[in-house]
Amino acid sequence: MSMLQVENIQKSFGKNEVLKNISFSLDKGEVLAIIGSSGSGKTTLLRCINFLETPQQGKITVNGNTLFDAETFDKVSERELRRRRLHFGLVFQNFNLFPQYKVMENITLAPSLMAKEQIRENGEYMGAKTMRQAQQAIRDEADQLLRKVGLYEKRESYPCDLSGGQQQRVAIARALALNPDILCFDEPTSALDPELTGEVLNVIKGLKSANSTMIVVTHEIGFAHDVADRIIFMDGGLIEEEGTPQQVIDNPQSARTREFLARFNQFGD
Amino acid sequence: MDQFWNVTSELLKGFGQNCTIFGLTLLMAIPLGLIISFGSMSGIKPLKAVVRTFVWIIRGTPLMLQLFVVFYIPSLVWGISFDRMTAAIIAFVINYAAYFSEIFRGGIESIPKGQYEAGQVLGMKKSQIFFKVVLMQVVKRITAPMSNEIITLVKDTSLARVIMVPEMLKAAERFTMQGLIWPLFYTGVFFLLFNGLLSLLFSYIEKKFNYYKG
Repeated sequence: MSMLQVENIQKSFGKNEVLKNISFSLDKGEVLAIIGSSGSGKTTLLRCINFLETPQQGKITVNGNTLFDAETFDKVSERELRRRRLHFGLVFQNFNLFPQYKVMENITLAPSLMAKEQIRENGEYMGAKTMRQAQQAIRDEADQLLRKVGLYEKRESYPCDLSGGQQQRVAIARALALNPDILCFDEPTSALDPELTGEVLNVIKGLKSANSTMIVVTHEIGFAHDVADRIIFMDGGLIEEEGTPQQVIDNPQSARTREFLARFNQFGD
Repeated sequence: MDQFWNVTSELLKGFGQNCTIFGLTLLMAIPLGLIISFGSMSGIKPLKAVVRTFVWIIRGTPLMLQLFVVFYIPSLVWGISFDRMTAAIIAFVINYAAYFSEIFRGGIESIPKGQYEAGQVLGMKKSQIFFKVVLMQVVKRITAPMSNEIITLVKDTSLARVIMVPEMLKAAERFTMQGLIWPLFYTGVFFLLFNGLLSLLFSYIEKKFNYYKG
């Protein structure tokens, strides 16, 4: 039984059908890379999985629990939706850090708000009975995450004082702080200068060796080849080809995939 | 010299009225303006249309006329009347709330969508996203236009004299009618001092927000 199951996702914006019947699955600890040209629907797919867009059709299941079903989704309360969201984490192309908060506060804000709510309602948050204990645990966890992404010494800085690569690493730590089952990346290096992409890609590689389950939408074909267990090539709102990196990148079967990859190789990627 | 102190104390009494209008207007127009700005950004089309029409009317007509309307219309139509000060404050609050609402709307709409989305994927409630993520950034962005409006408000309070609120210019006019012209010009000093203090306060606030960019 796979961890994530995406079935028959269909999404249109007005008359423009961006996703046409997308289905795939993901096992625990697996890394999936989604590649494809701009406008192929890969970012929209990731946004659907994170409930930032609502598909017109389809179903999303995590660990056997249906999180999204187009038939019944309009009956889901905001509260329930917020709970379901926490199965996923999302790292944005433009980081979207909160500029008025220090690095540390960026990471602890959401968990602290969550802890406050849960202690009030259930009397505990992840074993902590008081807000004081919870805050301590959240800060310790944030310290650890910052060490993991190599930015512990920057924890009192503001995002505007960090480079793009550092900001994106903070954004990764922020997403990890809520312990998502599946961490999603939406072109995490596309907004970075070329010399800064390496540090972000290395953090993602590090997460892979820690067995995190991840979906990475990327233009870094070389990176996808090295890190992904499986690759999906999307074209025109459909999955054109799917398989191991060796199958999809080294021996593409579809003409569209070959054409797409040829364009990358042409620029010596 | 006696005359000078006499004039000063009379003008100060009047300026007390100006300060009352100023303080109460600010206190009420800011929250009301925020509510109006939500209305003018609402997804409910009829509500949005009503609110935007309201803002258009209030911003499109003179405050002086609005003072007359609030003071005279209720008594002409329903036979009820507000006392002069209450009428002045109602007119000022409505007028300034309309202006503030447009500043708030501009500020709120200038915050990138990504800030909301980041809050959403972190499982935050809509209200938490607004108060913990967006609001502070909005406040930083609207400090300059708000200080402009607030300084204008200080001076506008003297318009209350058209419905006979005994504010400072009214007091100065009484001296003029007795043949004493200089108190009228002297009122400028009070406005200048008050706005000078406000300007200092605003530049302090702006500096406070300078710790981050964006």
